[in-house]
Amino acid sequence: MFSLSLIEHTLRLPPHLLGLSLEKAVRHELEGLFLDKVIAKLGLCVSVYDIRSINGGFIFPGDGAPTYTVRCRLIMFRPFVGEIIDAKLKDYDENSLRLSLGFFDDICIPPHLLPTPSHFWPDPENGNRRRWVWEYQTDDENQTSGSMFAIDEIGATIRFKVQSISYPSIPLEQPNSSKPFAPMVVTGSIDNDGLGPLSWWE
Amino acid sequence: MKIIKANDGPLTNFEVLDYLRSRGASKEVAVTVAPSEYKVFEYLVETAACNQTREHVTDFVQKVKTYNLAKAEVLNIINIRPPLPVGIFTIVENCDARLGEAAAEELAEMVSETLPPPLAQPEIQDADQLDETIADGNPQPIADSDGEAA
Repeated sequence: MFSLSLIEHTLRLPPHLLGLSLEKAVRHELEGLFLDKVIAKLGLCVSVYDIRSINGGFIFPGDGAPTYTVRCRLIMFRPFVGEIIDAKLKDYDENSLRLSLGFFDDICIPPHLLPTPSHFWPDPENGNRRRWVWEYQTDDENQTSGSMFAIDEIGATIRFKVQSISYPSIPLEQPNSSKPFAPMVVTGSIDNDGLGPLSWWE
Repeated sequence: MKIIKANDGPLTNFEVLDYLRSRGASKEVAVTVAPSEYKVFEYLVETAACNQTREHVTDFVQKVKTYNLAKAEVLNIINIRPPLPVGIFTIVENCDARLGEAAAEELAEMVSETLPPPLAQPEIQDADQLDETIADGNPQPIADSDGEAA
């Protein structure tokens, strides 16, 4: 789910960092700029892996700080389509299951990618609050009752397969009550053997 | 910012964990890494990658060559470490046609033998990891872009 990306960036090194060695100062700036930020098409930047080259160091007229052109490799979180990942169930509602990896929260499983047939039924033990239930039907003639497997334990580990990743563009205006904008959304599927809560397959 | 190479090589969870450990992340202390990096560390330490070493992974890559799996599938297996055949069926596409049940069971056994189970043993492994990474001046990803194992 991680890969390296080689980028080149021109950055201005603020004078208060000039006491450190050049590499440390540049690394500090790069981390402030890229860490925990989503770069479109590249993914979420997790860490600065290494610095390949630092060029420049010119001081532009009127400026008090040197400008460097840096080539570095970043560790990006960018799952590929078809990858299998274990994540924890954070929340669910009638439109999706939301999973979280700790450092990345916007993983969404839409209803059509749950094992078929699944239903959003009220839970008699929990004050009739609705939750997702998979109805596992065996292949014999007598299909009057299937076994029910519920997906409702918040914090349970769920294994899913990455279906797609999208980078929605930043909206210009947002109404105050809507969810915070997610710059990277991973859509997953659990409609296959071995996928879904790990407790189903142990 | 200019993207020179968007994909300079995939990394297994083990390699990222190794890198974070070499930067000083560990269960108790987390001063040298940023909070967001530490969250990644916390996630990885609970997966199967927490006990793996470079030898385990290169050993496994060598042994799995006979099964003709795609690079993405080998990466998935190293990251998830499925001990049962059902895990292999999830990861390998068209498993029945390409491997068949017997080969999938064999592969699951080989995975259990070659890669360590994810039980918590961080202290002993940490010392080994740090020794390896200090000696290794420029760590290379295990499988680089032309598909050769290190």
